[in-house]
This record gives sequence, C-alpha cells and structure tokens, in this order.
Amino acid sequence: MGNERLLNFAIKYGFLILLAGLILYFSLAAPGFASPRSAVFVLQSVAITGILALGVTCTLVVDGFDLSIGAVATSALMLSAYAMVVLELSAGMAIVLCLLMGAAVGLVNGLLIVKFRVPDLLATLGMMFLLIGLQRIPTQGNSIATGMSLPDGSTAEGTFSSTFLWLGRHRLDFFLENLVPLPVVVFLLIAVGIWLFLGFTRQGRLMYAIGSNERAAGLVGTPVSRYKIMAYMISGVMASVGGVLLAARLGRGDIASGTNLLLDSVAAALIGFAVLGAARPNAFGTATGALFVGILLQGLTMMNAPYYTQDFVKGAVLVIALVFTFYLSSRRGVGGH
Amino acid sequence: MFRRHLLKLAGAAALATGTALPIAAQDMPAPFDAPEDVKIALVRYLSTGDFFQSYLSGVEQQSEALGVDLRVFDSRQDAALQADMVDQAIALGVDGIIIQHGLTESMKPAAQRAVDAGIKVVAFDVNVENEAIPQVEQSDYMLAKLALDQAIEDHGTEFTAGYVYVPGIAPLDRRDTAWQEVKEANPGITEVAQFGTLDNPIANSVANQARSVLQANPTINVMFAPYDEFAKGVKIAVDEAGLTQDIDIYSADVSTADIAAMRESDSAWVATVATNPSVVGEVSVRTLAMMLAGEETESNVIVPPTLITQDFLNENDVQNMDQLGEKLPQFQHADVAMTDWMPLPAR
Repeated sequence: MGNERLLNFAIKYGFLILLAGLILYFSLAAPGFASPRSAVFVLQSVAITGILALGVTCTLVVDGFDLSIGAVATSALMLSAYAMVVLELSAGMAIVLCLLMGAAVGLVNGLLIVKFRVPDLLATLGMMFLLIGLQRIPTQGNSIATGMSLPDGSTAEGTFSSTFLWLGRHRLDFFLENLVPLPVVVFLLIAVGIWLFLGFTRQGRLMYAIGSNERAAGLVGTPVSRYKIMAYMISGVMASVGGVLLAARLGRGDIASGTNLLLDSVAAALIGFAVLGAARPNAFGTATGALFVGILLQGLTMMNAPYYTQDFVKGAVLVIALVFTFYLSSRRGVGGH
Repeated sequence: MFRRHLLKLAGAAALATGTALPIAAQDMPAPFDAPEDVKIALVRYLSTGDFFQSYLSGVEQQSEALGVDLRVFDSRQDAALQADMVDQAIALGVDGIIIQHGLTESMKPAAQRAVDAGIKVVAFDVNVENEAIPQVEQSDYMLAKLALDQAIEDHGTEFTAGYVYVPGIAPLDRRDTAWQEVKEANPGITEVAQFGTLDNPIANSVANQARSVLQANPTINVMFAPYDEFAKGVKIAVDEAGLTQDIDIYSADVSTADIAAMRESDSAWVATVATNPSVVGEVSVRTLAMMLAGEETESNVIVPPTLITQDFLNENDVQNMDQLGEKLPQFQHADVAMTDWMPLPAR
C-alpha cells in the first residue's frame, strides 16, 4: 500500500515539487535570480502566452482545440496598430475593435465546428492561415509604425496613444516602487476569472460535462452547441487581449505569424493537465504550466544557456508532464477523460 | 555624374507630364531600345517582412525606370518550389532572372539550367556557385564592423558587452565574424553574455531574454544586437529595467519603426548600420540590365552600408525611410552597377 500512496503523492504534487526544486536551483546557480524584480519579469514573460493558454484551456475543456489563437493575437496586434496609426482612432476604440475581432473569430470558429461539422483542428487551422494572410493585406505586408508611407503616397500620422502604451508598460507599486507591470495583473485577473468560471459556475461545470461526454450532456438538456461556440469565443477574446498587450509592449504593429505564441500557450495548457494530478484541462494548472516554462527559460538565459537548449527543455518538460498525466494517472485508474 | 542628373531630371519631367514612358529609350543599348519586349523574373525565397518588402519595391522601381516587364515569383521559403519557379520562368521565355535568397543545394542546378537556356542570371544573397552568375550582396561583415567601430569610438576599447546572436543564419554568421575579430583585437572588450532567439514575435522574445541577462549582469554598458529585431527587443528590456542612461545599443538594419525607436527620448539605441534594401533591389536589376546589354559586371557586386546615428536622426529630424534617404544621399543611391545610359527611378 505504501507504494500506492507514494504514487498518488507523486501524481498530485510531483510537478509542484519539481517547480520548487527548479526555483531553488536557479536561486543558487544564477546570480540575481532570487529577487522580487526577477520574479516579476518571469511573470511578465509568461503573461501574454499565459492569457492565450487560458483561452485555449476553455476550448480543451469542451474537448475542442483552437489552433488560431496565435494568429488571432498577432491580428489584434496589427489591428490595434492599424486603428491608431493609420485610422487615428483612440486607444479605447482600438481595444474595443480588437476584442470584437477576437469574439467574431471565435464565433466563426464555433459556427464552423458546430453548424458545418468541420473538425475543430481543421476549422481553426484554416482560420489560422486566413488570419495570417488577412493581417497583412491592409499594409501590403509591411509592419505598422508612425511615419510609415501609406500605399496612397501619404505618411501615417497617427501614434500609439500613451494610454494604450500604458497598458503594456505601466508598473504598479507593490512593496517596491514600479514593480508589477500591468500585463501581469491582467494575466492574474484572467487566471482567477477563468478558474472561478470553469470550476465554480454552472456554465463551467456544464462545459466540463460536454467535454467528457458530449452526447450525454446533450441528452440531459445542455445546449451543447451554444456552449461550444462560447468556448471558442472566450478563446478568441483572450487571444485578442494577449495581442493588445503585446502591441502595447512593442509599441508597433509587427508582422508575425504567432506560431510560437500558439505553441508556447498550448504547451502551457497541456503541462497544466499534470498539475495536482488533475489529468484534465484546468485554469490553475495552465497558469502554473506557463509559469513553469517561464521560470525555466529565464533561469537558463541567466545562466547563459544557448537558445537551442531552451526548445529542448520546453519539449522535455512537456513530455514529462504528459507522462505524469497519462501514464501515472492511468495506473492510478482515474486517467483520461 | 552630370549626365545622370540630366537623366534624373528627364525622369522627373516624364513623370510630371504624366507619361510613364521609360526615360529616353532610344538612348539605351539593345535590348533596351525596345524595353517593353524585355521580360525579367524575380524568383524569391524570402518575402515576409519589411526588408523583403522594401527589396521588392526597389526591384519594381528600377524595372519601371528601365521600362521592362517584371514577373515576380514567390516561393515563400519552399526550396523545391523555388527551383520549379526558375523552370517556370525559363518556360515563360524571360530574358533575365534575379534569384533572391534560397539554398545553394536547390538553386545551383536550377540556375545552371537557366544559364544553359541562354538566360542572364543574377543572384542576391545566395551562392549558386556559378561563374556566369554575379552575386549581389549587402556586406554583412561591413554592417557589423561599422557599428562596432562606432561603439569603440563612443566607449573606447574597454567595455562590457552583451551580444545577441543566433548561429546558423548566414547573414548573422557573417556579422558574427566582425564581432569575433573586434573582440580579438581589443582584449579590453569583455562579452559577459550571449543570447538570442528567432521565436516570433522576435522583439518580444528577445526582450524577455534581455531582461534576465541585464538582471544577471549589471555591469553591461554596451549591447551589440546586429539585427534590428534584436535591437528592438533589447531596447524594450533596457527601458523596462530603467537603464536607458547606462546602456548603449548598437545594431544593424533600419526601418521606419526603428527610426522612431531610436529617436524616442532617452533611447538607448544610439546607432545602427544599414544598407537600404530598396537600393539593393535596384542594384540587382541594374546588374541584370548590364548583363543583358552585354556589358561586363563584377562577380561580386557589393552594396556598401551606411552608419546611422541617433544624433544624426535627431539633428535632421528624420521621421521615416524616405526622409532618411533625402538627408543621407548615400543611403538613397549606391553608385554600384552604374553605366552612363542607366536610367534611375524618379525620386
């Protein structure tokens, strides 16, 4: 029986213990790692992928998948820049436009999947390519910055408003002066919000029910289609929030495919399966997963590890996490979902 | 020189009167006496991003100035497709081909087939190992060297540096050669950290790395980031760490957005060195035109880079690439692959 208890303990707390061990190791090995500032920029580096990951978690909960989040984020990045620099709209309008765009993309994704019966991976894959192309059309493939020449020969006069940049760059005083950047606060608020929503509301629990057995959930009267569409809309909106924060940090509309954003956030969500032995998508796990990858990468960078080790390490963490989830949990007899 | 100015004037006049006719076609040697019958193709490997966009516009403008028919083939980083596109261009009966980037392995045989078909070929930034094909290149080595010379001028031969580099990318490797040489020649320069990533959005990923590097190495006073996306990321990190007064960033490449970033108040990004990609595009077409007219070209056509400092941008109130070209004539036009009959794009 001792073995069994050890196994249960390993499944439940193994990942958190690994996380604590890592923090301890880097604190000793990398000078400057153990400081409040360094903790904050670990958080900052994962804030954007974390927000995207929380969105994708919602689609994983209903047994779906959203491959378009990276592209939605970079589309929001371009859209906000376009709105402010070329159309000279206010920061508020730009943000509203981006959120609407995210929701609209989510709605289309949802409709494609629910109404047109396109498999989720394919529908969102198509959407991904569509958006990568679409975001380049208005500027003919150029990045957006103040002073850029427009196709009609004039110069873009608009600027990123200071309110907008404030979103990505402002730091709140928290024990130390100018410590916590706003994106981190947004990330934490969204994490708590999604955690409460998925775990403690009727809607959240119904979404889990749909994810574990769609037909059964439907038979007991759950409006399955509506919930699935909602999951994709949440995912789209989260991705556009991430894109807005990215634009506010960069201060320009950068052409980017967002593939790395997609991969990093999906990795975070999958690592999240292993946290506390949940073996299913959950907001707390996703946030922890994002943090785990962030701590590893920051620590390695501080120790001057070359860039290719970082991909290797990310992959290794993901594989270990998946082993935790699927192999150990199945031995415990509650695996899968 | 004088003649070229005349031609420029004539070009401006032609544009002003609304005739988009090539400049004084009868002055140009065959086959450009009937330029509308000359067909050239641009076969691209890389196309996404400001640099490639600007390169394309240079190619288009110079082709328009010559009055030739330009076809653009875009393989979007598909090496096999790019080789097929060269064959398509051959089948189309073009007179000349510009190969823009690509892999030596896939482009070498394709380029040879084009040469065998009697087509003139120019390669930009890809070595197709063919004596009949001149290589147009921007000198990446000189880009890095000029930036480092400026760093030494500002900081002397003793400073602590952070270096942003991703090995295995040809232009970055060539820039790295300059850095290694400068370090060797100046033992007072210490590199305490090397980092870098091409995860996109690159600036954001590099900013995350640079934050930790700055935290771990508070002694850094120079950041050498020989690619503008790297420099942008480092600048974000320096701003976030509140170290704008303590660190100077030296980089390579330039764009309108980069100019804005360099000119922000208290910007740590003090200098960059760049070749105007649009000029490189023009030079590629001119080199091809000279070959078509049966003139001799160099086997390596090198477009020289220009140093651009923050002070220069501020003194001249430069806002974008167009104004940079006006204020810095050597950035607007490179006196490379020029003949006395060559028409230049109207500026």
